[in-house]
Amino acid sequence: MNVLSRHQWYLAAAIGCAAVVIGGCASVAPPTEQMAVSKSAIANAVSAGGSEYAPVEMRTAQEKMDRAQRAMAKEDYENARSLAEEAQADARLAEKKAESAKAQKAAIVLQDDIRVLREEINRNGK
Amino acid sequence: MKNYRALPFMLIAAAALAGCSTLPASDSPLAQARNAYNSAQGDPQVTTLAAAELKQARDSLDRANNASTKGESGAVVDHLAYVTKQQVAVARETAAQKAAELAVANASAERDRVRLDARTREADSARRSAEFAQRQSEASQRGAEASQRQSEESQRSAEASQRQSVMERQAANDAQLSAQAARRQTLDAESRSQQLEAQLKEMEAKKTDRGMVITLGDVLFDTNQSQLKSGGMRNVQKLADFFKQYPQRNVMIEGFTDSVGSNSRNQELSDQRANSVRVALLGMGIGPDRITARGFGESYPVAGNDTAAGRQLNRRVEIIVSDNSGNIAPR
Repeated sequence: MNVLSRHQWYLAAAIGCAAVVIGGCASVAPPTEQMAVSKSAIANAVSAGGSEYAPVEMRTAQEKMDRAQRAMAKEDYENARSLAEEAQADARLAEKKAESAKAQKAAIVLQDDIRVLREEINRNGK
Repeated sequence: MKNYRALPFMLIAAAALAGCSTLPASDSPLAQARNAYNSAQGDPQVTTLAAAELKQARDSLDRANNASTKGESGAVVDHLAYVTKQQVAVARETAAQKAAELAVANASAERDRVRLDARTREADSARRSAEFAQRQSEASQRGAEASQRQSEESQRSAEASQRQSVMERQAANDAQLSAQAARRQTLDAESRSQQLEAQLKEMEAKKTDRGMVITLGDVLFDTNQSQLKSGGMRNVQKLADFFKQYPQRNVMIEGFTDSVGSNSRNQELSDQRANSVRVALLGMGIGPDRITARGFGESYPVAGNDTAAGRQLNRRVEIIVSDNSGNIAPR
């Protein structure tokens, strides 16, 4: 296992070295996968209610995604990946904020229900 | 291990990227990310409810720290720090969400309990009001019956007062007659009670709180036997004659023993002796409904059980003669 993975690693390292050496400073592979992941993260955040519950994070995520797309168009892949990653982080935060806010709202509603129910019982009990 | 494996690649990549970068690393966003991570790490709600999210943030922070120590460009470190900071925030929100969901679950259970309480109380109060209504209707029915009875009574009393005036006239006539009869009856009763007392005296009856009591001594029975001896039988015959003469008087027969022997044997013997007197009286034609017999074992001694004479007194059958209406005070 160790021997095998070390071999695999050396292979990967060699490919990585070759890519860096060949690609040089200017060119990095286009982060197509990251772009897709970030887009889907934003879609999830929107459907979770991110625009309503976390408008700041939502707007930031969308802006960064736009910028990432522009960077992609300019073949500035390094920047595109970085922006897309940040957009993904922002979108996930927006999604979680929305979910958390909804859960807290539900808890408050339920506790209110209980309070009303108790009051009603006490009134009827008298 | 993973970091060591990544080392050669990272060193090369860092070297290659460092060649491109121009600005030195700025610590500020990284410091913020570290602070954010450390404070989340110290929050037990986050560590228990959002462990996976916190681990992701930790990995990002490690990458940012590595990038910083390798002297990568400020933009790269800032980017990684930013991602870390957002991931710490995600961990915090996840923890808050889970906590709220737990609260919802608990609150649901509580609401169900409260609802159950409410239903129970409703059912109770419905039952109470039904009972109350029933009681009320019963009361009003009773009231209606009472008023009907009252009207009937007043009608009856009107009739009665009419009858009374007729009767009063008759009564005046009767009174004279009954006064004469009463005088005769008193004489009769006096002579009869004198006769009764004489007869009872003959049987050595004693006057007690419960009435006249005739005691049949132990000598009238064979030792440890319930069979009456011939002497006992003669006494019983006198009793039978007496009760035939006074049919309104009843008789209670109570058997007793001394304390020698077991309780159960004494109880049994006292039962049997009382019963043999009863049987004898029945045989002499006294109705069974007039005679009650019961054994009391060694209870109610009339003398000490420590002497032979005392024990003999305790072995006895008592015959209690009722009053004129057939009543005998119970022991």
